[in-house]
Amino acid sequence: MNSDAILQVRGLSKHFPVRGGLLNRPVSAFKAVDNVSFSVPRGRTLGIVGESGSGKTTVGKCAIRLIEPTAGEVLFEGEDLRKLSSGDLRRRRTDMQMIYQSPAASLNSRMTVGQIVGEALWLHERLNGAKARDRVMELLHVVGLKPEHYYRFPHEFSGGQQQRVGIARALAVKPKLLVLDEPTSALDVSVQAQVLNLLHDLQQEFGLTYLFISHDLGVVRYLCDQVALMYLGKIVEVADVQRIFDEPKHPYTQALISAIPEADPDEGHEQIMMRGDLTLRRPDQGCPFAPRCQAHKVPACDTVEPRVVDTGNGHYAACHLHPGAAAS
Amino acid sequence: MTSPLLEIQNLHLEFKTYDGVARVLAGVNLTMQRGDVLGLVGETGCGKSMTALSVPRLIPMPPGKITEGRILFEGEDLLEKSPHEMQRFRARRLGMIFQDPTTNLNPLFTIREQLIDAVLYQTMDAQRVPGRWKGFLPSVRQTRVLANQRAIELMGLVGIPDGDKRLSDYPHQFSGGMRQRVLIAMALAGKPDLLIADEPTTALDVTIQAQILRLITGLVDRLGVSVLLITHNLGVVAQSCQRVAVMYAGRVIEQAPVRELFKNPKHPYTRGLLHAVPTRHIERGQLSGIPGTIPNLVDPPAGCRFHPRCAHAVEACRAAVPPPYPVGAQHTAECVLFAGGS
Repeated sequence: MNSDAILQVRGLSKHFPVRGGLLNRPVSAFKAVDNVSFSVPRGRTLGIVGESGSGKTTVGKCAIRLIEPTAGEVLFEGEDLRKLSSGDLRRRRTDMQMIYQSPAASLNSRMTVGQIVGEALWLHERLNGAKARDRVMELLHVVGLKPEHYYRFPHEFSGGQQQRVGIARALAVKPKLLVLDEPTSALDVSVQAQVLNLLHDLQQEFGLTYLFISHDLGVVRYLCDQVALMYLGKIVEVADVQRIFDEPKHPYTQALISAIPEADPDEGHEQIMMRGDLTLRRPDQGCPFAPRCQAHKVPACDTVEPRVVDTGNGHYAACHLHPGAAAS
Repeated sequence: MTSPLLEIQNLHLEFKTYDGVARVLAGVNLTMQRGDVLGLVGETGCGKSMTALSVPRLIPMPPGKITEGRILFEGEDLLEKSPHEMQRFRARRLGMIFQDPTTNLNPLFTIREQLIDAVLYQTMDAQRVPGRWKGFLPSVRQTRVLANQRAIELMGLVGIPDGDKRLSDYPHQFSGGMRQRVLIAMALAGKPDLLIADEPTTALDVTIQAQILRLITGLVDRLGVSVLLITHNLGVVAQSCQRVAVMYAGRVIEQAPVRELFKNPKHPYTRGLLHAVPTRHIERGQLSGIPGTIPNLVDPPAGCRFHPRCAHAVEACRAAVPPPYPVGAQHTAECVLFAGGS
């Protein structure tokens, strides 16, 4: 593992109770995230990709302890976030912020932009009055908004501008790590391009580290240094972005990449179809992807759950087609 | 030469709002031949859905109002049909699918009931039975048996395995992709000539999106249906359409065969749009968006509606709305830059 990792996640699990029966007691657990490990190097971007229901948002939220993980370690700059008291955690939160998918829903419609961004300054640094105002103005400038936007309400902005307000609010406390949960999927392409460029510039300027959650592989290819693919709560493949797209190892990654509609009629690739749809029910044993896998070959697929193994050059995959995956 | 399947001529659509009259469509021209897959692309609020909904006349009027233009379907003007004729037209000639497969199915009824309803409404010839039994004879039972058979056939057509059994399921027992397939089955019940698909894959995951697109384009070959595919995703257009029309602020600003448009885009807006899509060839930090936002349609800019955001704007852009100039084989662009040809 990289020693310069700002965030290291080891064996992270999040199980949600499934209630049922007469007394509505927990009868089983839904494993939204199951034994996931990864690390994010300082100043870089790790993309987490998966279909809806794969647990990518849950990983993002657990990674900054916005929801309580069931098991595992989350090391932020070497310090286990799960062992922090609520007060310490709160002070630590200035280092990690989150940006949400729906910009309109994540801004309070009764507060002006100045109040929304200023609130973060008050809560974490006890800044108010003229000092806070100056800082907010500076932040608005950084994210490409104008000073006159200070007194406006969220509904007066377009989607792209609202997302900029969300970014300004996250930057207010000078974070080191930003968890971006599908920040551009609600935006039009031309606006998406503006926001992606802004995120790239901010990373250059402030040395930010991003945990970028997305289902759009095109955007991930553009913005991320490393990519982790999730399927039913498991990480199935991790590698540098170039490697993932040039030589995907896991059949799921291959299928997903072949399904990207390229904006170029000559670049249609041979599509690898997956069988069936994503169901949230996992097979009792064996590889979670086995029921949909087209490369389905080895008997172990149905009996042994594959381990994540290094296939060389920092390229990790969890598939029985690669030697060593079956060892426990 | 026979008349094209669908021809929209100079369509103007207005909406009354509290702020004034919004000119949502300002002279849309579109032509579709039989067997065409035409992609209609543009950003939010540019009028793609409004153009599509104008064809079956599903725009609520008031507040909407078509002030000018014609919509010709095989040479007949749809805007002059009576509501009854229109209803028949929608049932027999047209199929529509929408973005969100969940909200378009009734959660309280099984797929069988909903699909049989669609079959009955779209194919049963109530005219043939006279008098008070109109619509009920031949026997209800017999019709339903036939409709049930047709429903099973449709389930197979859209690739739902075990169609017979799954008809008894409720919508929540289907995944998003399967629900969209059910809606496609409903749209196909009346053997339509034209299928209007309004963002059919936006709510779906990429892998499912690929399956649904393959299904839709496959229908063109198998059933000879023409497809008007509305989307904001340029990748979807590139992979599944034959021709593309790009809309901006209520006008079709560029039209071309798909390869021509992606290889040789002419209108500055189209170029901006294509450069905003992250592809494998674009380096990080090199993506260029289009500055500004779409104009307010209550008080749109004079002349070319794109000129306030355009890097190439000249005085002539403000003066008048540019007509479509030919810039290549079957390729037109509404931009004064091409007034003297390409």
